[in-house]
Amino acid sequence: MSHDYRVVQWTPFKKTFDLWLGSGIIVFLAAHVASAVFAFPPDQHASEVQLALRASGSCAFALLSLILAIGPAARLSPRFLPLLYNRRHMGVVCFLIALLHGGLVVFWYHGFSGMNPLVSVLVSNSEFHSARGFPFETLGVGALLILFVMAATSHDFWNANLGPGLWKAIHMSVYGAYVLIVGHVMLGAAQGDEGFAWALAVGISAALVMGLHLGAGVLEARRGALMRRIVAEGWLRVGAALDIPDTRARVVSPPKGERIAVFRDGDRIHAISNVCRHQGGPLGEGRIVDGSITCPWHGFQYRPEDGCSPPPYSERVATYRTRIQNGIVFVHPEALPLGTGPGPTLIGGASPAPSDCSGEVRDV
Amino acid sequence: MSDDPFFIGWSPDLHKIDRRFLLLATFGLMAGGGGVAAFLGRQGQPPGPGIWDQSAIAGHSGLLVQTPWPMLRMIGDDGAPQTAFLATTGKLAVRLAANARGWVKVRGSLISRGENRMIAVDDGHWLGASEGIEPPGLRDWPEEDLGAAHLVGEILDAKCWFGAMRPGYGKTHKACATLCAKGGLPLAFCQTGSCGSGVDAPLFLDADGRRHGRDILPFIADRVMAKGRMVRVGDVVQFRVARPDIHRV
Repeated sequence: MSHDYRVVQWTPFKKTFDLWLGSGIIVFLAAHVASAVFAFPPDQHASEVQLALRASGSCAFALLSLILAIGPAARLSPRFLPLLYNRRHMGVVCFLIALLHGGLVVFWYHGFSGMNPLVSVLVSNSEFHSARGFPFETLGVGALLILFVMAATSHDFWNANLGPGLWKAIHMSVYGAYVLIVGHVMLGAAQGDEGFAWALAVGISAALVMGLHLGAGVLEARRGALMRRIVAEGWLRVGAALDIPDTRARVVSPPKGERIAVFRDGDRIHAISNVCRHQGGPLGEGRIVDGSITCPWHGFQYRPEDGCSPPPYSERVATYRTRIQNGIVFVHPEALPLGTGPGPTLIGGASPAPSDCSGEVRDV
Repeated sequence: MSDDPFFIGWSPDLHKIDRRFLLLATFGLMAGGGGVAAFLGRQGQPPGPGIWDQSAIAGHSGLLVQTPWPMLRMIGDDGAPQTAFLATTGKLAVRLAANARGWVKVRGSLISRGENRMIAVDDGHWLGASEGIEPPGLRDWPEEDLGAAHLVGEILDAKCWFGAMRPGYGKTHKACATLCAKGGLPLAFCQTGSCGSGVDAPLFLDADGRRHGRDILPFIADRVMAKGRMVRVGDVVQFRVARPDIHRV
């Protein structure tokens, strides 16, 4: 969490994850190169550099497709959450493989001439008006720049210093990079002899990524529609208190502002913002662990009573007032000042006094 | 640990259900990824039988000619005249004095594909007088009109296609081919479907048998339809096409 910064805060899971990630990449690259070598007579396979640049390009695209699929897959089934936890490492590795691909292209196709290879990438072809002749390399350069910015700012240091909103906005540009790469392939390799296979592979990957996002979006919309029931005095109806699973939450969508996660912790009801301050993870899909609401993405924790991360951490999310009438939970959509809490609402009893981040009980 | 599986990345505990699922997912992804990689790796035509052993530098004696591109007319193993074009090891044409011609010796490495040949000249003093005597018949360039031709294919740089690149054709090679063309290297034309495995690609020249100008550059490596005449000059076949008769397909 935010207490200190190390290059990588290694955990046993991250080490295992990276080991498998590295193995998967090696398998992909080896299979790509080996099949290209053995598909043709020994003296007729592609040159070593061209084998490497093809394999690295395929690998970077496949990895980026996987990275983009993990997010919605984790929304559809929490079983995919462990893949999301270390997704940033995949992103950095994806950038490095894409950089290898781009470096080989610049060296091989744009080198050995009288022109600066980097300049050549941008000026050797100006057929922007032609789909057949389009300089697809420029799209790859754009995508690589986006991936670079994302990799360079992937550390929590940047998240904390840029702020979660800006950081998230920067990292949402991955979708722009993906669109550029789809264009890069479709206007490049897909127009060659092997075009059909490339168009098929890219089309299926992009359709899978879009389908998963649509599926997760529909699920979110259904959840939101069920919970968007506004009653008198601006209070939102959440549902029967005992219908909220213990240590879990229901999420409601107010007319404006962030979604609200309403948790049940035994006989206590708490409401906090659904948006984790780390990377915007859905707190309402998390759980109360050791007395703290725990984000399903990276395990950031917040005290349910005041929305503050337990010491020594300093993240805070907004809390909201709740009430129970006839066993039905209601939440008021107006966020309380950060670091303060209204105190929980008890199911079938009086509510304790409110508190703040210091843990002190406040006068009402 | 609770029966309700909930993954926390920093926690040393990983629920058994999660562990089993992750192992299955990981093996599935690796197998699927490997399969896709193997499928993509074997796509396309073979890059062709072009060979360039850059370490095999030798002296080649022949008659130096400068048009339409610098070339050396030599006597082959079968005693018949054969042509080898000249290039640098990079994407630039050789630089010759305006009066350089005649019986010479060129040092360089041979790039070959079928009967097509090119010599990538060595750095430094690659051109010198040949110690041998010019054999008869090298200055005879019988020109034979092979008739009209209307072909669909790709304009490419001969050096890469002969074997400097493998493959040396197609959209992904467009920038490289354009640089080679700008650098003054010979252009050739391969018909669609035979660019990868074929060994025949006539030189690509204008209707008068001269080099095309820079207005040809936008068409390089694109699929084009070209209408012109095939002409054999010595052992070299030329596809002579006027610029207005080249159309992008």
